[in-house]
Amino acid sequence: MLVRRRGKGVVAAVAAALLVAACGGAGGDGGSDSGQAGAPGKTAGFDGTTIRLGVLTPSTGSVAVIGLPLTAGNKVWFDQVNASGGIAGKYRVELAQEDTQYKPDVAVQQYNKIKGNVVAFTQLLGTPSTLAVLPQLRSDKVLAAPASLDGLWVREENLLPVGAPYQVQVINAVDHYLKEGGGSTSSKICAMVQDDVYGEAGLQGLNFAAERYKFSIANTQKFKINTENYTGQIGALAGAGCQMVFLTATPSDAAKIWGTAAQARFAPRWYGQSPSYTGALAKSAVAPYLQQAVLIVSEGTEWGDASVSGMRDMVARATQFAPQQPPDYYFAFGYNQARAMTAVLEKAVQQGNLSRDGILAASKALGTVGFDGLAGDYQYGAAETRNPPRSSTLFAVDPAKPFGLRTVKYNFTSDAAKAYEFKKSEM
Amino acid sequence: MTAFLQNCFAGLALGSTYALVALGFVVIYKSTGVINFAQGGLLALGAYLGYTFSNNLAIAFAVAIVLACVSAAVVGAAFERIVLRRMVGQPPFAVIMITIGLLFVLEPLITSIWGFDNKQVDNPWNIQTVGVGGLVLGVRDLWTIGLTAAVVIGFFAFFRYTSLGLAMRATAFDPEAALAQGISARRVYAVSWAIAAALAALAGITLAAGPGGLQPSISFIALAAFPAMILGGLDSPGGAVAGGLIIGLAEALTRGYQDQLFSWAGDNVSVIVPYLVMIVILLIRPYGLAGTKDVRRI
Repeated sequence: MLVRRRGKGVVAAVAAALLVAACGGAGGDGGSDSGQAGAPGKTAGFDGTTIRLGVLTPSTGSVAVIGLPLTAGNKVWFDQVNASGGIAGKYRVELAQEDTQYKPDVAVQQYNKIKGNVVAFTQLLGTPSTLAVLPQLRSDKVLAAPASLDGLWVREENLLPVGAPYQVQVINAVDHYLKEGGGSTSSKICAMVQDDVYGEAGLQGLNFAAERYKFSIANTQKFKINTENYTGQIGALAGAGCQMVFLTATPSDAAKIWGTAAQARFAPRWYGQSPSYTGALAKSAVAPYLQQAVLIVSEGTEWGDASVSGMRDMVARATQFAPQQPPDYYFAFGYNQARAMTAVLEKAVQQGNLSRDGILAASKALGTVGFDGLAGDYQYGAAETRNPPRSSTLFAVDPAKPFGLRTVKYNFTSDAAKAYEFKKSEM
Repeated sequence: MTAFLQNCFAGLALGSTYALVALGFVVIYKSTGVINFAQGGLLALGAYLGYTFSNNLAIAFAVAIVLACVSAAVVGAAFERIVLRRMVGQPPFAVIMITIGLLFVLEPLITSIWGFDNKQVDNPWNIQTVGVGGLVLGVRDLWTIGLTAAVVIGFFAFFRYTSLGLAMRATAFDPEAALAQGISARRVYAVSWAIAAALAALAGITLAAGPGGLQPSISFIALAAFPAMILGGLDSPGGAVAGGLIIGLAEALTRGYQDQLFSWAGDNVSVIVPYLVMIVILLIRPYGLAGTKDVRRI
């Protein structure tokens, strides 16, 4: 499906440039090449006036519940870019969206289908799909922004991640539990993770925290996604006397896990990895238990928090360009992704080269990109020197709030999270 | 002991759901010789219909369950009448492929109507519990076990004491002889599909009433029920029920004692246990626990 971005760009190329500069986000604030080059030449995905970006997302299937709001976030960001004149005030952005169904093989097919018509991919959703497409991104020299917080992406030069990786979320959550959450290193700290690379990322963070803060993980339960009955796992956690459990799951499993825990009257302090939560949980029968026992570790702030400029802008733009969009932090993630890609495009235009090589060079030349409080600032550059944000925000479940989340502790960074090293993985 | 009983209860509840799905598989196989791969899709359809009756139309949950089962039965019978009736006499393989096609049609049909969002079905069970001794029993689980027991008893009574049940048994035993006695095979096939769809709908809505809510992936449970049908015996309703309960108990107990007994075998042994049990039983009894041995004259 082709989504044509409309914009009345005439009003101002100049205004757009000012806006971008004022946001401090869409353009990097540093980089190795600050000089102006000539206008970029035509290339695959750029016809001299319009820049085309790919979006590989599940718009059908069980993960569409994430893909749809995330893509809406991409679109709203580029809608406002186009309305302000486009990239560098003159090049409109058009999105070419394809459905991956959250199936890696389909993602590869769809990638091949449109790779010749786009300059880069502003969304590639999911760890499995990203892993499947990555070899081709490398050989084709294409840049893609993964919609996944896996730490694997930090050192991959063909990827443009945003946000604090899952490992950072876990470490910050443990820090909060030990310093402000009533826990100590002698508390029974446990883990419940799904048995895949996403769950592995959660465990990596917890193992690092255990080493750093000198505690032992009392019990670890793994599960396969779409498991129907969690009585055994909850019984094991309760039997081990777990006082804090870190959960790495997706919403439908998390709902069953917390529901089973509520039924078993097992109420440790739960910390949930950001993808464990969705707004529907705040309206479910499990909500009272979640309010009592669960904190969600993510980024940014609660929906509609006018004290954070990025949220204020995002809500205004969502109201203008996607008035039907309900509050959803996956929307914010997509919005941030598009913002990072815009920074790359601005840099590539500045360097006069929108070819694949030019896009990769621009990515390496980016400095720090800010997200105005919607996520931590990301220090881009050569993959081996990148430094992702180390900050997290803790939310409590509150059905009265939009998306059912209330900020408990905003944008904090633990020393342990700062010390976590991201290594290049052999993939 | 309490932990053991708690895990047994969880296994019985899970096994009851498997039993309902497996029973649906068997009803169709027994009367038509076809494995219905769309059973998971019918389960999801029934669950979403239940959601619509309960949430959108604000019908009492008990009535919503009945309406969902009846609606699914109508869909099942209509599919048999409109599509499968044209395939009578054709190779079973072709019919099986059609059921696979139905599964792939149902999934996008469901998401186009109800979307991908997680739905919370209005129901009185949810995460309510009752305490019995030291056990904590989920109300939803109790109802699932109770409803399954009632349906299974009703199912066997129907087959044993009604003329239509007798007709279905006769057709399953020898279609040509049944036809010669004036039994309408077409009617039997349609009723089989209606019963299977209703069973699937009941399984679907009891699942959806739990804390996980309802989403399209609910249909995956049918895959887990597959070993239950195979190990019970493809053509044995009693075997399907026993198979469902065995698989549910094996899965729950393995999970419950993973740390103590099975940690040497990895983190998720319970996932493979249903298939291991199926393999072992098939090695001992190739036609399943209660399946009919295929006798051939040579």
